[in-house]
Amino acid sequence: MKLSVNTEIALTYLSARKKQTAVAAMGVMFGISMFIFMQSLMKGTNDYFEQQSFNTMPHIHIYSENKLANTHLMDNYLKDSSLKLLVNPKMVPQPTGLINPVGIIEVIKHDSEVVAVTPQVTANVFYNSGNIQLNGVVVGVNIIEENKMFDLKNDMVMGSLDDLEKISNGIVIGKGIADKLSLHVGDIITLAAATGGTQTMRIVGIFSTTIMQTDNSKSYANIAQVQTLLGKNRSYVTDIMVNIKDYNRAPAVAKKLATITGYKAEDWVQANESLKAAFKIRAVILNSVIGVILLVAGFGIYNILNMTIYEKIKEIAILKAIGFSGPSVTSIFLQQAIYIGIMGGIVGIGVGFGLTYMVSRIYIGAGSLKYLPMSFYVPHYIEAVLFGILTTIAAGYFPARKASKVDPVSIIRG
Amino acid sequence: MTDIALKAKGITKYFYDPVKFPALKNIDLEVNKGEFVSIVGKSGCGKSTLLYVLSTMDTDYEGELLINGTMVTGKSLNDLAAIRNGSIGFVFQFHYLLPDFSCLKNVMIPALRLGKLSPKEIEAKAYEKLKMFGVEEQALKKANKLSGGQQQRVAIARALINDPAIIMGDEPTGNLDSKNTGVVFDLFQQLSKEFGQTLVTVTHDEDFAKRSDRIIVMADGEVQSHGR
Repeated sequence: MKLSVNTEIALTYLSARKKQTAVAAMGVMFGISMFIFMQSLMKGTNDYFEQQSFNTMPHIHIYSENKLANTHLMDNYLKDSSLKLLVNPKMVPQPTGLINPVGIIEVIKHDSEVVAVTPQVTANVFYNSGNIQLNGVVVGVNIIEENKMFDLKNDMVMGSLDDLEKISNGIVIGKGIADKLSLHVGDIITLAAATGGTQTMRIVGIFSTTIMQTDNSKSYANIAQVQTLLGKNRSYVTDIMVNIKDYNRAPAVAKKLATITGYKAEDWVQANESLKAAFKIRAVILNSVIGVILLVAGFGIYNILNMTIYEKIKEIAILKAIGFSGPSVTSIFLQQAIYIGIMGGIVGIGVGFGLTYMVSRIYIGAGSLKYLPMSFYVPHYIEAVLFGILTTIAAGYFPARKASKVDPVSIIRG
Repeated sequence: MTDIALKAKGITKYFYDPVKFPALKNIDLEVNKGEFVSIVGKSGCGKSTLLYVLSTMDTDYEGELLINGTMVTGKSLNDLAAIRNGSIGFVFQFHYLLPDFSCLKNVMIPALRLGKLSPKEIEAKAYEKLKMFGVEEQALKKANKLSGGQQQRVAIARALINDPAIIMGDEPTGNLDSKNTGVVFDLFQQLSKEFGQTLVTVTHDEDFAKRSDRIIVMADGEVQSHGR
């Protein structure tokens, strides 16, 4: 390969001062590897928490909400253009059951973005065993679909989720309930609904999530069983859970479903604003740390090139005397910065990956979280190198421009 | 084509530090092609200053400068750099090589910059030039490992690499012993006689000056004698 003379001079200068070059490259390397490491940690944990939240929460949750009283009824009777006012309007209770849930589910299923739909019946209940009472929520589900959506099997600590299908009055309870009522798989538990009905059920499994409140109150039963408990018919459904292809599109799809169904459609972002806020705060903190690291690396390069230029000022004058133009001199010194950036970048990728991998092997063992969640996401590496090289160019530009402005006469004549 | 390689018309230059002081006063000068001219004068008479103006490196002057009939006064710095690269060879008072490079590279760099020949051809040519001055054995040594006289000879070889129309020297033999001064002088004369290259040197060496084609004598920023 034929190197241009500017490149040749730049490379000679770099190799003539190996130590300085190495120090500058190490600065960049440090910046880039930290960038990769931080981004991996951030994305890893964010993804983990998002995944975690989807274990208990659908992308979109459709349910019936009480509505504020409005003037529709009056419109029916007073069919004129008179102004109707409701002073101090009250909430009008709506039936908790959805009207025509089967129809709604059919419609939702036909949406191209939807991948899974499952109906639920939730009921506030008292768990009775012996003389002890515990209040909580039982969720009537189609266990196969529910498992597909929320991966419940992963949380099972005892018994089997599949037994729920075989045993019609089976129930899967949270570990907290089991501990508090001293219950095991195979035991009997009585559920009393707030509306008065009671059901005796057989425990077929116990689950444990990372959220204690859920473990202390939640249980899963077959949907028909909960409908019976509430004294409702087979078409009684309180909630419809929807999962879509790309969960980032949930707000848009939720809006569409709300219009179609006429019920409240809540997306996971709305339901998890604190989670999203935490993501954002973490992003700000980590990005500022990365920014500072890259800034420091940039100043390192700036310093070293500046010193080089003072050291080499006579040589710059000679180069200009023998016919190197200002832009050529700029190119010589800017290239040095860029090569430092590339060297630091390549090593930084390696170190960043190594660091990320090592940390991903650290055992945490909190709840269902065994190892630190780290992501290995290629765009992070590309971004890191891009940022690194941009920093070095910015840091190298000013010294290089200064070099190009050296006046050969004043230097050579002394 | 004109026969005048270098023409200066009314060159005036001031130094401002510590007070405004005329270093060159309205100098008119002509050097023909193939002429070997020495500029002599006492220290501080402005002869080096004049040389730097003639070399296009110093642009802070009044008057006009023509090289090979082309007006160079007022050209951009980048254009001037290209002119220096292609048609002016410069030998400095002190050797001024690039210490991180081998002697061979030092000689090659102006030609690489010019980019008219392939690196292979340039290397062959650079060896040839080094041989002319008897420093070919030092070719691959780093420039800062050579003695002062050797470095000076390498620097002269570098000035010749692009076969410049004009070669300028600021005390080009200042660091050389009498034997090597003779070698350089003979070579300069050969360049002017056989290859028609123009030489302008500033020197204190009276013997060197006497043997050149023409002596221009300067005093107090003025040309006292054009020598013809």
